[in-house]
Amino acid sequence: MTDPVLSIEHLSVDYLVAAGRFRAVSDVSLTIPPGRVVGIVGETGCGKSTLAQAIPRLIPEPPAKIESGRILFQGTDLVPIPHHKLPMVRGTGIGMIFQEPLNSLNPAFRVFDQVAEAIQIRHWREQGILPTFRPGPTPFDYSRRPMPTASDVLAKPLVPGGAVAEAAQRRLRTRADFRREVLEYLRLVRINDPETILDLYPHELSGGMRQRIMIAMALSAKPALLIADEPTSALDVTIQAQVLTLMKELIDEVHSSILFISHDLGVIAETADDLGVMYAGRLVEFGPVADVFHAPRHPYTKALLRSIPSRYKTDGPLASIPGSVPSLARPPPGCRFHPRCPLVRPVCRADPAPELLPAPGGAPPGATPHTSACHFAEEVSNLP
Amino acid sequence: MATGAPRPPNRARGYSAAVGFYRIMRSNPLSFAGFVLVVAILVLAAASTLDPRLVAPYGASQQTGVYSEPPTILRGSPSLQHPFGTDGGSLDIYSEVMLGLPLDVGIGVLIAGLAMILGGLLGLVAGFWDRPGTVGGYASTVILRTTDVFLAFPSLILGLAIVAALGPGVWQVILAVTATWWPYYVRLVRGEVLAIRHLPYVVAARAAGVSEGRILVRHILRNVLEPLIVYFTLDIGTVLVTFSTISYVIPQGIPYPPTFGRPEWGSMMSYYYGNTLFSQAWWSIIFPAVAIFVTALSFSLLGEGLRDVLDPRMRRALTESTVGHTPPAETPSSPVPGPLSEAG
Repeated sequence: MTDPVLSIEHLSVDYLVAAGRFRAVSDVSLTIPPGRVVGIVGETGCGKSTLAQAIPRLIPEPPAKIESGRILFQGTDLVPIPHHKLPMVRGTGIGMIFQEPLNSLNPAFRVFDQVAEAIQIRHWREQGILPTFRPGPTPFDYSRRPMPTASDVLAKPLVPGGAVAEAAQRRLRTRADFRREVLEYLRLVRINDPETILDLYPHELSGGMRQRIMIAMALSAKPALLIADEPTSALDVTIQAQVLTLMKELIDEVHSSILFISHDLGVIAETADDLGVMYAGRLVEFGPVADVFHAPRHPYTKALLRSIPSRYKTDGPLASIPGSVPSLARPPPGCRFHPRCPLVRPVCRADPAPELLPAPGGAPPGATPHTSACHFAEEVSNLP
Repeated sequence: MATGAPRPPNRARGYSAAVGFYRIMRSNPLSFAGFVLVVAILVLAAASTLDPRLVAPYGASQQTGVYSEPPTILRGSPSLQHPFGTDGGSLDIYSEVMLGLPLDVGIGVLIAGLAMILGGLLGLVAGFWDRPGTVGGYASTVILRTTDVFLAFPSLILGLAIVAALGPGVWQVILAVTATWWPYYVRLVRGEVLAIRHLPYVVAARAAGVSEGRILVRHILRNVLEPLIVYFTLDIGTVLVTFSTISYVIPQGIPYPPTFGRPEWGSMMSYYYGNTLFSQAWWSIIFPAVAIFVTALSFSLLGEGLRDVLDPRMRRALTESTVGHTPPAETPSSPVPGPLSEAG
């Protein structure tokens, strides 16, 4: 099996605010193999977005703080990287699509300039103009660097000529080059008439169009991992369907892994290969989408699935989960779902919280094991 | 202006920007008046700088080199020959006002510009790097508390006090007004930066690996620029009034009549107020005041118009309505009434 693109190990993220310490993500472990789409679902405030933003270290620190754990992206741990080196890490392989397409584009620039900036940055990195973060055991040792002698300095021409100048010449890309490349990416996201769109300002575009441009910008960096943080939630249903179709088509075309965050089970079912269910900052179930949907092994997943409105059930109230999400400042001991759980027993209230355990029998080789954090995973299938 | 045909594809961007600017200005009569007045003021100021005799036919020798023609009517009320009247000595008020024009407008632009650059940079630092516990956090605390101290004094009183401490001279007064003026720009820019800093497009740029410096310039400064330029233009008039007030209150700050260089309107008013009776020579006091008023008003009106020009939404709405791909009917019976249809 190939190395995973991203592997998160026991990640905990806290928010330190005046009201106290909120553990938004606690002890989450997750693996994203190359080329796979991993979906995360959960209610509002369960830590999905915090998790998404913590991966490229985008959450503002403070107030947020990564308490513990590792985020291994292509084998490099992103957690200990100091702040001033973060711009080198971001954009070197992790792309992001955000929830609000309305404000995700700079209102002062035309579409062309925005997409061109993303492409420009990738080119700079590829040519080594922008520093790229390369993990190494020791920092560069300046004492070993040979000092130039006076004659070296004097012999160096003030204006570079010859091969150096030619290389610089090649690096200079004209506006036409950029235009061609930007058009290519706009066509990739199925924008009709990209020539016109190029010269428009963001406020002249619809929400779905802006989201497509956001996707084009994220893809133009050629990321190994694309994090989509509720990309369709702010759009209306028809546009949602279009963007979703686009994303499904793109999944087959670009070979990046995708972390797809959503509160909409239908969206996840459409796109994801693997599905993680989060509750109150914890990952409570993880497995292949079909398994999680058809044979959930956590009562919370079961309850979530039961609350999807069905078009065939027309009488009676909509199903819902009794109670509400616990406060993250003072989560209940033991399993965090126990105050709302129909299967609750004394063992559920006792610390420590249950761990993610694979289903007995194991998974077929090469497939993602179906794991759940419930003491009574076997009884979930008996629930209504 | 040719309308009805689609915009020629290979026309320079600068040309269409200029046309758009003109159209938006035309759409609001008040800001158009401000625009025309400011252009006129700048042309007159340039002419007065190049050759004072162009605009000041009776200018005194210390400004024009020679008396073009010394006024023959002493203390004469406004007439065709001397539109603003003459004073009891040998000065023509119209020529004096025109000679003072580049000085007063220049001072207004200079002080507002210095305050904008200084306050803007400090505001940018205080807004962008205010993470507590870091060097930037301490720097922004120092900047903001200093700003509070300056804002606690009324700017006119503080300016007067600084002039009194520094002594007379044009540069001393400029320094004093600048020193009281920058804190407003710190507040303005910091507020804008704080609002923009957490918008998704800044976060998205950060996620794309854009360096902090580039984010600051391209995504934050660029979007602060519009309110900043509008405020700057509106401010020139206020600066002019404050500056003139200081030189009016402290006449020895900028002496009048000037021993060399150009007269300043505030000191001019002060001099004539002290040396002539209002009922006998009201023109020598009123006309410099009118000059201050008109200049301040023009810049304020222009600033209001610029607000529309710099807003991309407004810009497109007003320019595209006539030069865009779907031009509205240009006949007098146009279904689109108002300034949009008559802009063509």
